[in-house]
Amino acid sequence: MSALAGAVVAALEPGEGTAYDGFGPVTVDVPRERWVEALEAAHAAGAVFFDLLTAYDLGPDGFAVVVHVASADARDHVLVRTTVPRDDAVLPTATGVYRGAAWHERETHEMFGVGFAGHEIAPLLLPADFGAAPLRKDFVLAARAARAWPGEKDPSDSGGRARRRTLPPGVPADWPEAGT
Amino acid sequence: MTPDARPPRTRGVIALVEESCTVCMLCVRECPDWCIEIDSHTETLPPDDTHRRPRTNAVLDRFAIDFALCMYCGICVEVCPFDALHWSPVAEYAATSPDALVHERDRLASWEATVPPPSPLDPHGVVEDPGPRRPSPRG
Repeated sequence: MSALAGAVVAALEPGEGTAYDGFGPVTVDVPRERWVEALEAAHAAGAVFFDLLTAYDLGPDGFAVVVHVASADARDHVLVRTTVPRDDAVLPTATGVYRGAAWHERETHEMFGVGFAGHEIAPLLLPADFGAAPLRKDFVLAARAARAWPGEKDPSDSGGRARRRTLPPGVPADWPEAGT
Repeated sequence: MTPDARPPRTRGVIALVEESCTVCMLCVRECPDWCIEIDSHTETLPPDDTHRRPRTNAVLDRFAIDFALCMYCGICVEVCPFDALHWSPVAEYAATSPDALVHERDRLASWEATVPPPSPLDPHGVVEDPGPRRPSPRG
């Protein structure tokens, strides 16, 4: 485990922060209540360079929010990650620790509908009345709903025998079909 | 940079070898951008000397790649079990309308002449000649 990740884990109660040493930088999973403390610990340990904050959709498990911060002096970096439930997707803001997180929180709020308590969020990229979070998995992609999947054709369709219908990979089965 | 000066692995345009395509639809179904379209029909071949029963054969009618949608991931080239698709380093096919970026089968086939020869095997990938094979017991 890198020194930065160790500092983040050490700042939390035993068992609260779990470090995952993957293929890239170490990822420290923290409970959402300790989000700001974890970031403060990373900052205090030298990770003063804020790279990014973003989220990804875990489906029924909610959203993962991840921050990547680095220390140029120590040539070390760490990912701090937490999860928020779908029906209460709110995190305390990271802008108190890293002011540069403001734009990223605005974008994450627009794209995933994750709220950041203590941060007055103004629209960043989308029109103010867009009314949906387009990077959520349940957001229907217009390009996938408006057009028929070219892979549905089958050269043996002229045979008359009913075949098992093939579905496009990666497109949920409950999305509307083209023309409906 | 001219196409000749680019490394052979360059992803410029996708070439189609029509003779190798069996209309298996794998490339169409794997394409994450839905940018390949194939139309085909089946025809029935009558029995002949080697086939005692009539056979159905898929015939390619249309093969088109929309390079306005393509993101050059190369999954179609990788997935083709019959090596009918190849990367060509030619990238000089800009167009003034999105429709003109849809390359139909004639145009895709014309890129075949620009496909570089396959790169030599990695030195450690070459197995030494094991010598003449023993004849199998079944002949």
